[in-house]
Amino acid sequence: MLRLILSASLTCLALTTSVIASDERPNIVLILADDLGYSDIASYGSEIETPHIDALADAGVRFTNYHTAASCAPTRSMLLTGVDSHRNGVPNIPEMLPQDQLAQDNYKGVLNRNVATVASILQSSGYHTYMTGKWHLGKEPDNLPYFRGFERTFAMGDSGADNWEKKPYIPIYKDAFWTADGKETDLPEDFYSSEFLIDTMIEFIDRNKGDDQPFFAYVPFQAVHIPVQAPQEFIDKYMGTYGRGWQVLREQRQQRIKELGIVAKDTEMVSMSTTGDWDSQDAETKKYQSKRMAVYAGMVDAMDHHIGRLIAYLKKTGQYDNTIFIFTSDNGSEPSGVDRVPSAINNAIMRRSQGYTAEYETLGLKGSMNSLGPSFASASASPLSFYKFYAGEGGMRVPLIISGKGISRDVDWQRSFSYVTDITPTILDLTGVSQPGQFFGGRHIEQMIGKSLVPLLNKATDNVYGASDTVGYELGGNKVLFQGNYKLVYNIGPVGDNQWYLYDIAKDPGETKDLAARETKRFQAMLNAYQRYAKDNNVRPIPEGYNQYRQIILNGLRTIAKDNILLFLLTIAVLVPFMLYARSHGRRRQ
Amino acid sequence: MTRALQILVFIPGLLFIINGLRFAVAPEPMLASLHMEMLDGLGRNSQIGDGGAFFLSMGLMTLLGLVTAKKAWFQAVGMMLILTAIFRILSWLLHGAALAPDLAIVEIVFAIVMLVASRKLARD
Repeated sequence: MLRLILSASLTCLALTTSVIASDERPNIVLILADDLGYSDIASYGSEIETPHIDALADAGVRFTNYHTAASCAPTRSMLLTGVDSHRNGVPNIPEMLPQDQLAQDNYKGVLNRNVATVASILQSSGYHTYMTGKWHLGKEPDNLPYFRGFERTFAMGDSGADNWEKKPYIPIYKDAFWTADGKETDLPEDFYSSEFLIDTMIEFIDRNKGDDQPFFAYVPFQAVHIPVQAPQEFIDKYMGTYGRGWQVLREQRQQRIKELGIVAKDTEMVSMSTTGDWDSQDAETKKYQSKRMAVYAGMVDAMDHHIGRLIAYLKKTGQYDNTIFIFTSDNGSEPSGVDRVPSAINNAIMRRSQGYTAEYETLGLKGSMNSLGPSFASASASPLSFYKFYAGEGGMRVPLIISGKGISRDVDWQRSFSYVTDITPTILDLTGVSQPGQFFGGRHIEQMIGKSLVPLLNKATDNVYGASDTVGYELGGNKVLFQGNYKLVYNIGPVGDNQWYLYDIAKDPGETKDLAARETKRFQAMLNAYQRYAKDNNVRPIPEGYNQYRQIILNGLRTIAKDNILLFLLTIAVLVPFMLYARSHGRRRQ
Repeated sequence: MTRALQILVFIPGLLFIINGLRFAVAPEPMLASLHMEMLDGLGRNSQIGDGGAFFLSMGLMTLLGLVTAKKAWFQAVGMMLILTAIFRILSWLLHGAALAPDLAIVEIVFAIVMLVASRKLARD
């Protein structure tokens, strides 16, 4: 009923605004890759062929200093609302939240009702709003994208899922949670994620084509999240490409990034402690690891191919010229998995428990579990330090391309700092839609902290953030404060060392030279600013000894065991009276 | 012999109780084990209400039979199981349902166990 009333009022509002608004308002296509590293597309230094994304980059504005959260759901929550993750309910993915944080109102790991999504705002302004792909902002009925501003949806609610079939990728999920327009659904027999998501998006757009309303299309791909899977023909393109290993790849990409002018020629980079020594690997390991990376490259390539199909459709139907594309990633490359060949026993356990194997021959195909591993993940993030989950640049700095109607490439690279909360204000600015005030849809809402990047696109300014502006960040105990060219950063274990560092990320994006000792005043001022950010945004401390991977397992076990423990206790409660009766009856008989 | 029969009766009784409680705690996998999808609205209400009561009642009656040694409890469970098997077959014969021989056989076997128990374990 509530939805009916809401829809009716939104429709009325939409009708009003569609009269006011002209059909010249641009369509927006927001494409979000999953776990794509900084140098994983060709225009950002990759050897992987991504001609369609590169064409957007060539025609548009390419950001070198765009930052996002280092994990998927916090990014998605900020991307779609412009509100800090500690205020929108998603400071971490729910799978990684410890119990004492989960008890806090702002730590539920699902998008709360105090925020308006960009889709809701655009929908109320007469836009069609479509979404196909990964949501991961809540699986409760009223938190599905269909009820958070999207008119048509085909969405996956978990942190990830198989790319070939409806199947969970880790045992903490009972099933892959797919919904179509708010109702649980199945997947077609010939499903491959990137292909299907684009097919469905084209279907959504095509159904309302020519009705004079512009559209907002949000395509959060599953690619290239675990399980890393790709069609055989895409894998075949990269077989033999990675035989020289992860260290060489990281260096090659660093070189290419310098040549492209993304970073300065004298940019240095660190070698991560988790990166193995390629030369000391045996032949079987080298063969296996290089195929893992080939599958990953194939998955990126396949995503690009299907983005190309969407672009071709928009061109064919005359909608391309009125469309603005935003392409980015939800965080840096994913290091999960180990850099060794899985044993036959491992494969047998995986097959029995999850229906997966990680055998060489079928790697990346249906029924195969594949990941990138920490060493190739570091190459994917070249020349940056760290990767997904961590607050190093490799976890937080990702490509951002804005291209299309009215946007021209006058500068080679846009180097000013930008942040994930800027995307919603930018979209609203591009579409001529005002940011809501304190209330939206009858609710008091959190104010956006992001800034529109349109002045950068228009060349009206060199920076949307002033030298004194600060942007705070916290995720699972990893902490950051950005100010001007500087970044104050703290990474927890097992890869981080629980120490604060200060870097000039404009000159030193590789985070190789700690300035904390040299610039003590700045260091202290930024530390104080971080503490203020944490207090103002109700950032909760992580428990002593917190480990994000262990927390996933604990939360998973809790989810799986919860029903069984309750069942066990209830069964005991039913049996006890019978046992007592039998015992007393037996005594009386004696 | 009596102890073995008591164990043979106790096991299905315990399973009935667990299955009955599963309708309350986690109905979806329970329904899936009966080849049913979870319905919405009143359909779900009936599935959980009727299914939970059916299994839990059978389990409780089985345990009551064991602790009171009264044959009526075993006979009631046996009757419910036999009727379930009969209705299964009728649903196949008359209403186009799929035949579920595995489920029907289990029910008939348990019904026989209950009827034997009503003769061997009862003291009334």
